[in-house]
Amino acid sequence: MRIVIAGAGEVGSHLARLLSDEEQDIIVIDEDPERLAPLDSNLMTVCGKPTSFLCQKEARVGSADLFIAVTPYESTNIVACGIAKSFGAHCTVARVAHYGFMDPANKETMAKMGVDRLIYPEYLAAKEIITSLEHSWARSWYGLHDGQIILVGVRIGKKAPLNGMQLKELASKPWGFHISAIRRNHETIIPRGDAIIHEGDILYITTIRENVESLVEICGKTNRKIRKVIIMGGSKIAIRLADMAKGRFKFTIIDNDKSVCRKLALKCPDARIIHGDARDTDIMLEAGAEEADAFIALSSSSESNILTTLTAKELGIPKSVAEVEDMQFIPQAEALGINTVINKKLLASSTIFQLLLDADSSTSKCLALADAEVAELEVKEGSKITRAAVKDLNLDKSMTLAGLIRDGRGMLITGNTVIEAGDRVLLFCLGGALRKVEKLFG
Amino acid sequence: MLLRVLGGLLVLEAAFMLIPLLTAMIYGESDVEAFAISAAITGCAGLLLSRVLKVQSGNFGKRESFLLTGSVWVVFSLFGMLPFMISPIHMSVSDAFFEAMSGFTTTGATIRATGLPPLGHGLMMWQALIQWLGGMGIILFTLAVIPALNNSGGMQMFNAEVPGITHDKLMPRISQTAMSLWGIYTFLTGLLVLLLWIGPMDIFDSICHAFGTMSTGGFTTQPDGIAAYHSDYIAIVITIFMLLGGINFSLIFAAILGNWKKLTTNTILKYFMATILICWILFDVSILINGQAHRWQDLIISPLFQVVSTISSTGYIARDFVYWGQFPLALTFIMMFSGGCAGSTSGGAKIDRLIYLHRWLKNEISHCIHPNAIYTVKVNGKIANPDLVTKVVAFLALYMVLIAAGGTILSAMGCPTVDSFFSSFACISNTSFGASVTGYGDDFAVIPDAANWVLAALMMIGRLEIFTILVIFSPSFWR
Repeated sequence: MRIVIAGAGEVGSHLARLLSDEEQDIIVIDEDPERLAPLDSNLMTVCGKPTSFLCQKEARVGSADLFIAVTPYESTNIVACGIAKSFGAHCTVARVAHYGFMDPANKETMAKMGVDRLIYPEYLAAKEIITSLEHSWARSWYGLHDGQIILVGVRIGKKAPLNGMQLKELASKPWGFHISAIRRNHETIIPRGDAIIHEGDILYITTIRENVESLVEICGKTNRKIRKVIIMGGSKIAIRLADMAKGRFKFTIIDNDKSVCRKLALKCPDARIIHGDARDTDIMLEAGAEEADAFIALSSSSESNILTTLTAKELGIPKSVAEVEDMQFIPQAEALGINTVINKKLLASSTIFQLLLDADSSTSKCLALADAEVAELEVKEGSKITRAAVKDLNLDKSMTLAGLIRDGRGMLITGNTVIEAGDRVLLFCLGGALRKVEKLFG
Repeated sequence: MLLRVLGGLLVLEAAFMLIPLLTAMIYGESDVEAFAISAAITGCAGLLLSRVLKVQSGNFGKRESFLLTGSVWVVFSLFGMLPFMISPIHMSVSDAFFEAMSGFTTTGATIRATGLPPLGHGLMMWQALIQWLGGMGIILFTLAVIPALNNSGGMQMFNAEVPGITHDKLMPRISQTAMSLWGIYTFLTGLLVLLLWIGPMDIFDSICHAFGTMSTGGFTTQPDGIAAYHSDYIAIVITIFMLLGGINFSLIFAAILGNWKKLTTNTILKYFMATILICWILFDVSILINGQAHRWQDLIISPLFQVVSTISSTGYIARDFVYWGQFPLALTFIMMFSGGCAGSTSGGAKIDRLIYLHRWLKNEISHCIHPNAIYTVKVNGKIANPDLVTKVVAFLALYMVLIAAGGTILSAMGCPTVDSFFSSFACISNTSFGASVTGYGDDFAVIPDAANWVLAALMMIGRLEIFTILVIFSPSFWR
């Protein structure tokens, strides 16, 4: 596949590397040669304006299967997409920074301008935060196909019944779930039957809706209903979040800039706005830290987000979410016990990545925070995977089949399951193996 | 990891040795044994390295890339010299290494004195083949055929081996780029074989000459070179392909894709062509003065052949070159220094760098008068990064230093002074002429053994464009 990426910022660079490792032909356009220099390994770079006709011609946008505009400016992105579309790019994606573009009512206008898909990272982040608040016991929660299949990430505590168990033993128990991946010491493993669960592991478990209750129990968690939420930093994500979840949660937003606070009062009428520094315990107490259920740090500095979240934990707020934009801090933040880490870049790139998967489902997504990929693929007629029961297929060790959807109903996959054409299979695979896996599905 | 890859490459070299083995078998020569033994040794060494060693880390950094590129060329020459030693002509180690390195670097200098009986077909094929391999580059070939090298450090190795200041990528992936470069190269070589074969040349000679011409190595099966054929057709065909060998292959690629505009707007190509044209005219003037213009061909074909052969660093010699006087010889020196376009198979300092140097010097001089003015080096319609210009100037300075150093060392070993400097110049430029030009009277045969190693080292430094090799010997590389 030929993919042109306009803008070698953090999203663009991350995406370019990710896709280049996936054996795609990548061409990156950016104005700044300094930004292109570190990228110039296994992809092509074109130095120039993404909105320049000449530049796009040089990048041969016309023969591109996908054109992704992720410069920091939405108008540049939209114009670049328009030019690319007129040159003949098959599909165009633009990153935007306003909700107005996402509005379904404006979809036709966007299509006229040559933009097929939109990426709005703040919206993705807000959505991610809401899911994590709704399922506060889990670190991550993905519902696929209206929640027919559920994928959760859970950190195993000392007292959890699962602690110390071997995966083989689980088979004899009546619990219906599939441990698909384990994240241990910054590394993701696809477990086999002889793997033992340790304290501190993050398990990625696939299950169906009916079994969630029992899952909470055996992971040693309690499902706490979240109501009161404190947000630090009146960023775009905060505004979006307050708007999207206004009925469900009670928000208190703390910001240390008075003018931002005034704007917030206008934009988030239902939220309580407090002017002050969230790093100050008194301000936190004033915001109601004692009875708050969750703390979300969304300021522009990753460091202060992490530190303030830790302070909030000390004050007794059970659920913590921090926005960490510096990639190198993410493993550290996870190790420090922050429940959910939000990264706009990873969210944006995994969403774009999703566009590439032939499966055309919008709910299937990639576990971008771990170095594994989760994908939902449709089984085509006569593909390799339908030939025998799963245990006889001799599947690659770097992948595992977690669950499937057949006739609109979710079910788990065991060794004896025979996959049929038309099933939608949820699978895990370690970095880079996805392309290989796709072949199995025809 | 490094040794493992090296092992894999040696197996590849052993496979290439089968070609001359086959040739020797067809002609029923005694070299069969030599190639069989060499291929066996190379293959075994390769398998040993690639199978026995365990991979410690799969990471391939900048350092490993430089080291691998440098060592591949040395190791390939070390094993490539085996046929010369084992075959009935029994060369000494230093002679054989010189011969192999001269082949791989497409210098085309030979240690064998004229007057000795000619080599067997197998050895000739081997000489031609190593020139052809070295012409486009061993690493590049590897990148095209072994996809495993692609992800880690492939680009750095590509940079370390392909001559030029900056590198145009033809395709997003390095393996695709390498494959298309080798594709054009192989296609042009095949075309040349066909054209020569149609002309009055037997198939063996046409293959050998095609290899020697396309790689701009200058290998010839005849003691008198191309002149031995007395054929204008062959001279013209070879001139055209030597010219192609001196042009940036990414431009040829663009032309094949139908993008002719890129050819006509390229500054470097313009300069390259202009240099050839000017030298041609000057050659003609000199020929007329010396009264050597007997036929119209003496003014059209021969001097053009000689000019292109020199500037592309091929090193074929036109029939009457020695009678053309002193002036063409001086021009030859200049053309040897400049060489062809970057990204081609030719040697020399590359015409691109001279253009940069020229524009930079012009700016420096203007700067003396207008100290506050900002001058930029503009090539191909783009402003060159000042860092790049510094690197070019540093390269050219180092080039001169190395020629001087090589010449001095050779003189210390007892070679005549002028010849010492000339041969060190010829070797670093990867151009080599026969007896009449170097002044030795006897090719490189008269120089002492130790000097062979010095010259071989210079050839490699010249082929890999100095920095790749020198960086390995710098203390900061190992820290």
